[in-house]
Amino acid sequence: MTAPLSLERVRHDVAEVLDEEPGSFTDDENLLDRGLDSIRLMSLAVRWREAGADTGYLELAKEPTVIAWYQLLEGTR
Amino acid sequence: MNGTAEKTDVVVIGGGPGGSTTATLLAKRGHRVVLLEKETFPRYQIGESLLPSTVHGIGRLLGVTEELERAAFTVKRGGSFRWGTNPVPWNFLFALAPELSGPTSYAYQVERMKFDDILLRNAARCGVDVREQSPVTEVLADGERVRGVRYTSPDGVPREVHAAFVVDASGNRSRVHQHVGGERIHSEFFRNIALFGYFEGGRRLPAPDSGNILCAAFDEGWIWYIPLSPTLTSVGAVISREHAARLRGDQEKALLGFVDRCAIVRDFLSEATRVTEGVYGEIRTRKDYSYTNSTFHRPGMVLVGDAACFIDPVFSTGVHLATYAGLLAARSINSVLAGDLPEDRVFAEFEGRYRREYRVFYEFLSAFYDMQSDEESYFWKARKVTDMDATDLEAFVTLVGGVHSGEQAFLNASADLSEAVERTGSMQTATGDEMHHLFGTPVVREVMQEMNNVQVRGVLGASVKEEPLLPDGLVPASDGLSWVDPAAAR
Repeated sequence: MTAPLSLERVRHDVAEVLDEEPGSFTDDENLLDRGLDSIRLMSLAVRWREAGADTGYLELAKEPTVIAWYQLLEGTR
Repeated sequence: MNGTAEKTDVVVIGGGPGGSTTATLLAKRGHRVVLLEKETFPRYQIGESLLPSTVHGIGRLLGVTEELERAAFTVKRGGSFRWGTNPVPWNFLFALAPELSGPTSYAYQVERMKFDDILLRNAARCGVDVREQSPVTEVLADGERVRGVRYTSPDGVPREVHAAFVVDASGNRSRVHQHVGGERIHSEFFRNIALFGYFEGGRRLPAPDSGNILCAAFDEGWIWYIPLSPTLTSVGAVISREHAARLRGDQEKALLGFVDRCAIVRDFLSEATRVTEGVYGEIRTRKDYSYTNSTFHRPGMVLVGDAACFIDPVFSTGVHLATYAGLLAARSINSVLAGDLPEDRVFAEFEGRYRREYRVFYEFLSAFYDMQSDEESYFWKARKVTDMDATDLEAFVTLVGGVHSGEQAFLNASADLSEAVERTGSMQTATGDEMHHLFGTPVVREVMQEMNNVQVRGVLGASVKEEPLLPDGLVPASDGLSWVDPAAAR
């Protein structure tokens, strides 16, 4: 159940919920500018929790970038 | 049963949001559905404040999103509550924070005459055989299962329809639900009565909260204040059933009396006039008792919406619970008709999810009422968790959710919520727009979980992968319209 949440996976999941191509945004780009909203944020939190991360959407909301999330997810696993 | 009876796949009783949702989502899988509605739409209904999962989750599955947009209903970004210790209203917004408010972080305040009509006409467009002026008189069953219904056609002729399933979405006053067996159990704790009417020219909360529902507590209960249009407001007092006798006299005087004793609503209505003509000219009452049936299903029949259960109106849950149950019922029936899964398995999933949704809102409700501490008031004192009869509480919650988490859990939930509200602070402040304290409490997190799932499905469509909500439970198929056993799929 605990497939590692690689940086690649985080990029992929973010791209999917934002309906964008992976690689169309950078790892340190603020995802709010890409249309991230509460509902998409919550869906990511749920997805990553199911993959074994102990991260809530409230923590994710503090710094909405791929790189910050990857570090956060790494730290909680 | 006679030989001339009509045959169909599913009969749905009732054309409100629960019935329309079930019927439409069955028709989308190609099944023949007859929907029997006793009135002619559009017709009046109460329960005007919606939640986002209905608009953006169910609404997209039904295909009515654009039509709802065109109807130009009041946009609701959340609720504002004059409730608890803060003398200034505070916000419960749908978006976590203003910068995270996206295209689905809102719901609508709707005139139900218009909203319900949109859903029912959409059902007909999707292939549902909608028959108005067709009251159901009898449910046909044998020892094994429910087989159909008898109803009266608009020309007064008794008719019979046989079907594999009968869905009872006929509301809180119909007796059809009794055919499912079991009994309707009331919460001793929330036996409230609502007295409501309509006003022109009431004030609005300042933007961007002007479309919010306002719920304001006062000594004898609380008042809803729902902006249906720039000038029309729905105003209802939710009071103790002990006041029922007072409502048998002059109802206008009673309603205005309650308004007069609730400072913020009195102030908002100081320049307003009560509507006295047309459909909104009447003052109405309704028993807003919280109840649940002890069973929601028997072979061949299922209950949806107020026919199954009802919870106090303070969280605008009426249409949500009905349309959510409609989605669950449609998934279940679609699965059985396709031969995918056995009836008992899918309806265990139906009932498990439906009861869970009811339970999390009931726990939220208990904590929420507990916040409004007022030892001087009969209404509020009788609704404190500590003053509840523990046996009643336990019995009801066990019935609802299967597991009772105990009085301490309710008290903790109430304390968490009060603290979160205090930290969030008043509306129209920077912190009052940030919902992370509130969303962080366990009781709110539970309430948001499945609504969020439904909404994400509406937004992201078939790409969503959902984990089972219940232990060893089923998950939605990729189109969201039936169940899949995740163990079998692996």
